[in-house]
Amino acid sequence: METVTKDVVLEALKKVQDPEIHRDIVSLGMVKNLEVRGGTVAFTVELTTPACPLRERIQEDCKKALGGLNGITGVDISFGAQVRGSKSGAGQTDLLPTVKNVVLVAAGKGGVGKSTVAANLAVALKMHGAATGLLDADIYGPSIPIIMGVKGEPGKVAVDGGFKLQPPLAHGLPVMSIGFFLEPDQAVIWRGPMLGKALHQLMGDVHWGDLDYLVVDMPPGTGDVQITFSQQLKVSGALLVATPQDVALADVVRAKSMFDKVMVPILGIVENMSYFICDGCHKSHEIFSRGGAQRAAERFKIPFLGEIPITSSLREWGDRGVPILVREPDSEISKVFLEVASKLAGQLSVVSEAARRAQSLKIISS
Amino acid sequence: MERFVPVEINHMREKELVRVTWDDGHVGEYSREYLRGYCPCAMCQGHGGSVKFIEVEDSELAEISAVGNYAIQFQWKDGHNTGIYTFDYLRALCPCSACKDAEDS
Repeated sequence: METVTKDVVLEALKKVQDPEIHRDIVSLGMVKNLEVRGGTVAFTVELTTPACPLRERIQEDCKKALGGLNGITGVDISFGAQVRGSKSGAGQTDLLPTVKNVVLVAAGKGGVGKSTVAANLAVALKMHGAATGLLDADIYGPSIPIIMGVKGEPGKVAVDGGFKLQPPLAHGLPVMSIGFFLEPDQAVIWRGPMLGKALHQLMGDVHWGDLDYLVVDMPPGTGDVQITFSQQLKVSGALLVATPQDVALADVVRAKSMFDKVMVPILGIVENMSYFICDGCHKSHEIFSRGGAQRAAERFKIPFLGEIPITSSLREWGDRGVPILVREPDSEISKVFLEVASKLAGQLSVVSEAARRAQSLKIISS
Repeated sequence: MERFVPVEINHMREKELVRVTWDDGHVGEYSREYLRGYCPCAMCQGHGGSVKFIEVEDSELAEISAVGNYAIQFQWKDGHNTGIYTFDYLRALCPCSACKDAEDS
């Protein structure tokens, strides 16, 4: 009987591609702890995110690749996950060195449910097993404190000889919002310079600790806050939220054009309020029509990450500070959020590979 | 439009040049007066209209820094620093003969 060596196994596994990054799992360094004992091969596939949507497929492909080898009697594959960083922005100081991925949840206009999507996606990433935080950058209408059910001024924590803000935990997630510093009925009426200062504090003076993902709920539109984020923060990419009507899609185009200008990659687009699930008859009603975001995604060649329905319980529990994923983890809408989060994490893995390979900009003086 | 990203920006103090190497291998050498004169900021160019060369007496360059994923900022010795040169703009400004010929034709 032929003896199986590690080299033979690795050679065979080179035929297995990561379905999203489109490179083989051996050269991506995803095969770990390879052991060959007699005819039994055991190894760990280190996924690029615990929310990986393609675990089963990779497992199948590995078994298929090894099935052709003589002398193998058993294959034991276990899975681990090590989230990779995907932030770009060469030659710049990183305000958030302990955060691997920063995702901006954005839309060209208000009222599309960005905050609801941002909060539930953050919870979904956490439920998939990733360390996730949530930053509410919507300074004009901070709604994350309501949606996540957390209020009060954050405490201070001593870090590196100075003080930083300690984000309170809501449903297990560290959360920061400008809303924590305002009375509920107070408005933010700042001009540019004040705004910039407040944003800088929100970006740089928060002690997040080690995070795989930081989800940022952006204010609507294409203005000051968006520019400040893209200039001062190392960002992985932006997720666009749209409702299905054509008139809302016009604003998606604007948001996309802004992120293109500042070279922030678009991770994908989700359609929110895609359809209404009646709590009486469980029938789906397409109130605002459906599929507009998918058409926009095809037109602009950006990944389409899913359709999120609207339900009364989503609204009700959002208003009561309990994300639907926490309240009804088995509902259809929660499943949709978990799936969208998986796809988002997958896109971040793709971007991380691009960010790693992109040469970094060197600024020198001679 | 094809988009290029710089991989190295070298402030060559003695030659009073800024040499930019792009990811496609293209290299452009910009004199400091040229870069200063084409500062895209509103203080230099006003609002609206096309970008034009403006004469600036003192164009000594102090520092270069990156802005986000998409631009470069020059800090001039006289304190002027409001010009944000996007990569696209910087590439379009490239003064090398190949780029200038392509522009004229």
